[in-house]
Amino acid sequence: MFGFGKKKTKKPKQESIEPETAIITEEDKEEMLRTISMREQELIQADEEEKAKIYEVIGMTYLKIGEDDQAIDALEKSIQHKKTLGDGYKSLLSLYNKKRAEAARMNDDKSLQVYLEKMDQMMQVSKDVTRGVR
Amino acid sequence: MSVINFIIENILTQASVTIALIAMLGLILQKKSAGQVISGSLKTMLGFMVLVAGSSIIVGSLTYFGKIFAEGFHMQGIVPSIEAINGQAMNELGLGRDIALTFLAIFVFNIIIARFTKWKYIFLTGQAILWMATMTTVFGYFAGLRGITLILVGGFIGAVFAVAMPAIAQPFVRKITGSDDIALGHFCTVGYVFEAGVAKVFGEKGDKKKSVEDLKLPAQLEFLQDTYLSVMVIMVPLYIITAAFAGAEFASTLSGDTHYLMFAFLQAIQFVVGVYVLLSGVRLLLGEIVPAFRGIAMRLVPNAKPALDCPVLFPFSPNAVIVGFITTTIGCVIAMFVLPVFGLAMILPGMLTAFFAGGTAGIFGNLVGGRRGAVIGGIAHGFFITLLPALLVTTFNSMGFVNTTATDVDTVTAALLYAWLIGPLLKAF
Repeated sequence: MFGFGKKKTKKPKQESIEPETAIITEEDKEEMLRTISMREQELIQADEEEKAKIYEVIGMTYLKIGEDDQAIDALEKSIQHKKTLGDGYKSLLSLYNKKRAEAARMNDDKSLQVYLEKMDQMMQVSKDVTRGVR
Repeated sequence: MSVINFIIENILTQASVTIALIAMLGLILQKKSAGQVISGSLKTMLGFMVLVAGSSIIVGSLTYFGKIFAEGFHMQGIVPSIEAINGQAMNELGLGRDIALTFLAIFVFNIIIARFTKWKYIFLTGQAILWMATMTTVFGYFAGLRGITLILVGGFIGAVFAVAMPAIAQPFVRKITGSDDIALGHFCTVGYVFEAGVAKVFGEKGDKKKSVEDLKLPAQLEFLQDTYLSVMVIMVPLYIITAAFAGAEFASTLSGDTHYLMFAFLQAIQFVVGVYVLLSGVRLLLGEIVPAFRGIAMRLVPNAKPALDCPVLFPFSPNAVIVGFITTTIGCVIAMFVLPVFGLAMILPGMLTAFFAGGTAGIFGNLVGGRRGAVIGGIAHGFFITLLPALLVTTFNSMGFVNTTATDVDTVTAALLYAWLIGPLLKAF
């Protein structure tokens, strides 16, 4: 039923938060950083919902160029402005899990607890949004 | 010697002390300061006492409900609540110490299994582990196990479930999330796989499969915004209607000077208050223990896959959550009326289980069988998660539990494993 006992050909594991385009050139990176700074300008006049969207775009762009910490920072800001369960949410949970795994490998209990707690908070966000809690 | 005997017989037998000592162990292993160890241990002990207080409130309300239901409908009406089962087992049955030690044993065995086998799942939902520890302890005790055997068997079985359930769900979770790095840690997985199976048989197939995600549905379930309000929404009408059926003459014998319908209303609120207090206790109780032990688990199994609570899947299929909740509720209501026909107790629907288990099951049903799979699978799931707890009612009654049964079907499956396999085997030898 679940493929028990079958011989499986090993497939390469999917890494959900890896950038979609495998190779990002320096030019691409510069272009994306320019986009980010343009987006940051838009924040000044944006309302809460727009800010959440802009931060989500900024976070996803940082993620594409492999700047995980800045991606986390932007995606957290997005959820602080408005809780949503879009790509930003999914990527942030994945990033926390990546950081959690790194902390476990480094035997860094303090960071480990921080990211486990952040993952707990993400579960709460998911519950809240699904139940319509503002 | 008499001092040691005094400590063993009068202090260590107290469940609250055992639980505080488990928290203390976790905090010491985390190399916390003396102040943090003391405050953490005391908070854990306080949590246990709050939980016990909540349980007493629930028992008071359920005892009343049992009486009016029996009078009004001439059958037993069972409120499904794993919290109430946990509270009564910890308090009224005096199994608190064994449950706490089994809880610890599940963590330890989970780490051992994940460390030394290819199943690298670490179950992170602390509350669910507490419910599993409750059920393995209660049914292990009923099967005749005592002392260290009760704890080790319960710990091992609980840990096997803590690894096996995420492992069974993972092929689905991989497809839902498009990733293999996070797992599902929710003890309702047997129900999810059941729904997926039904959806496979009765659902849409191949190119005809249409996802519920393509439909336009109301985005949120606003009436479920508050956990306690959503429990109240069910319990208040349930108590008042039951009291009305029991009649003024009978119900007034229980309500003293208060009008019998008003008394029923207040008792329904009391039930919610009990759940509120009990869950506050659980949060306090687990607040120190869970971070300590899951930190240890993650460091001992650095390549672990964290098994997270069911909302981890909600963002990937939000419409299926709504369809799953509605269809599971329908299935629960059908089962409520059908099961008594077959001589089983009437199991009243639980809104929270229908939401969390039903919603997640809906994702599985939609994945496997599209819209039709989600609908037919969801109704079947609602029936299934009402039937399994109904099978435990006789045992719960004989053990002294008041008008309640368990909810999360994996914990019920573990209990049935004891009742149908381990218990008879122990009696045979």
